[in-house]
Amino acid sequence: MLELLWQALTFTAGYNTSLVTLGSAMLGASAGMIGSFIVLRKRSLVSDAVSHATLPGLTLAFIIIGLFTGDGRWLPGLLLGAAASAAAGLWGVQGISNRTRLGEDAAIGAVLSTLFGLGVVLITVIQAMDVTGQSGISGYLVGATAGMLASEAQLIGISALVLLIIVFMFRRPFLLVCFDRQYAYTQGINANRIDMLMLLLLLTVTVIGLKITGLILIVALTIIPPVTGRFWTDQPSRLVGIAALSGAVAGYIGAAISSIAAGLPTGPLIVLTAFVLFAIGLLFSPRRGMVAMVLAQRRFRRRVHLRQGLLALARDEAIYDELTLKVLRRQGYIRRDGVATPPGLVAARDAEHEEQLWALYRQLYPDEAAQLDHHGLEPIDDSLPPDMVSSLETRLPLPTRSA
Amino acid sequence: MKTAHAMQHTDTTSPLTITGLTVSYGQKPVVFSVDCEVPEGSLMAIVGPNGAGKSTLLKAALGIAPRISGDIRVYGQPYRMQAHRLAYVPQRSSVDWDFPTTVLEVVLMGLFHTMRWWQFTRRRHRDKAMACLARVGMDAFADRQIGQLSGGQQQRVFLARALVQEADLTILDEPFAGVDAATEKAIIEVLKSLKREGKTLLCVHHDLSTVSEYFDHVLLLNVRRIAMGPVQDTFTAEHLQQAYGGRLNAIQLERITHPDSSVSQA
Repeated sequence: MLELLWQALTFTAGYNTSLVTLGSAMLGASAGMIGSFIVLRKRSLVSDAVSHATLPGLTLAFIIIGLFTGDGRWLPGLLLGAAASAAAGLWGVQGISNRTRLGEDAAIGAVLSTLFGLGVVLITVIQAMDVTGQSGISGYLVGATAGMLASEAQLIGISALVLLIIVFMFRRPFLLVCFDRQYAYTQGINANRIDMLMLLLLLTVTVIGLKITGLILIVALTIIPPVTGRFWTDQPSRLVGIAALSGAVAGYIGAAISSIAAGLPTGPLIVLTAFVLFAIGLLFSPRRGMVAMVLAQRRFRRRVHLRQGLLALARDEAIYDELTLKVLRRQGYIRRDGVATPPGLVAARDAEHEEQLWALYRQLYPDEAAQLDHHGLEPIDDSLPPDMVSSLETRLPLPTRSA
Repeated sequence: MKTAHAMQHTDTTSPLTITGLTVSYGQKPVVFSVDCEVPEGSLMAIVGPNGAGKSTLLKAALGIAPRISGDIRVYGQPYRMQAHRLAYVPQRSSVDWDFPTTVLEVVLMGLFHTMRWWQFTRRRHRDKAMACLARVGMDAFADRQIGQLSGGQQQRVFLARALVQEADLTILDEPFAGVDAATEKAIIEVLKSLKREGKTLLCVHHDLSTVSEYFDHVLLLNVRRIAMGPVQDTFTAEHLQQAYGGRLNAIQLERITHPDSSVSQA
């Protein structure tokens, strides 16, 4: 079992399996990339609508191809059908949200369920038809790479690669439109056209992913990787990179696992792999991970105690709090018997000075101060521009140097 | 020389000429038949009461808001052809500040139009952006996430993004709204230094008491154009009365139009 998995991961399990894992990785990368922009544009749900809207087109194409050839499983034709009905679904969502008072979410709900319902009805029609490959149609719901032809894997892989290149070419216009449409317009970018292109790429990735992840789960591949990326970075370029990478890894590992035994559905395995990557970020990201949060909370508590302790030293007040004493001792600011050391006195005077600057800032600009994150505990030079700090300094009463 | 001739040609035309501009949301005109010519090298304010169509006028001039009628010329040509000569500083509220991006990356957006798709952001782009951040006193904040900044700091970043474009005409939508006094001072210093470099600046402004101090030209607007011209001739009690109607009383008017003469309030 493990040996089979190892073979799949190292591309030694045969030509077809290698093609499928590579194609899945490519699909994951392009889904992660375009998904990043869709998520930044706050349109994650649209991708749900697109994917469900592929079903009637897919099934209709199967019926038509089946009637003519006796076998409905001709991938390019099926994908074209899926793309057509997904485009119709998108058009419906846009039309409803632009022309009526309904919001986009309501429009998505209506269109998604209607088209999916229609698709399910058509599936039952297919089951009653006299064509080969009827059972294969359910593979498009949750993904099935087991019996995939080499030509199909190539089609998927190449399309995904082309998508990747297009997203890369348009990364800057995409980013501008996601951040600020109006500003994008002043930079010579037609925001409406860029929006259309984004949706078109989303539609394409959904359609070419049908065979691998299935239409229900492709949404996960466009949304989970960007969210994973969000844990690790604040920079959009890196976000897109991490999303592409984690999407690729998910596609690759998921497809490899599903290849080791017949009947293992590819889509769920890819999504579960993507979720594992997401969970790693959720737990261990140094910025937003849960572990980091707990540690940051502890550091913050110590910083509060340190500041309070130093202020108490500066004001010659007695300190009783155990943690405060411990923090001060560890920094070498007080001796074992609680008497302040020379560095402790310097630090205390600095803390008092900072505190006065912050107090002045809060007094002069209350709204601004309220907006800052944990103001008053960071060094003021790190939180305010230098001209602001110096203007505060000049307004401060001269330090009274006692002792 | 051909280029010199071309330069001269554009220099003789106004950076921004608006003729007969009407914009409406629904059936109600927000800006009606406004003519406006921004003189080269001026620091001009657009002033008017709430709902006077100040921001809309700017947005229509930039092609963001759809116009019903009128013509917009940037250096004598349609806006689209001169877009690179123009920088826009939007209102702070127009942006999602939770967006995952850093201060430096926002400023770099001002350089996107110079980068081809196969090019990556280079050292020289970053250096340029950092220099502009330094000019607004924000270079130490380059790696911050934009949501961590205060309102005044966010406004400074927007200004840096406009600076990096090295535009001849900069259009600012309420740059002083909701910023602290130090930021207001920093911003006006930058605007004045741009003016000294011969650049043109057009600015929606809401604080009447600082118009005379900050600006040299003013457009008084209340859906229609009330008056336009140099501040000392145009920014008069009579025109303000027309623009604001009963919203300003005599004492306020006196204090606004003559900020230097100390009006003693008994």
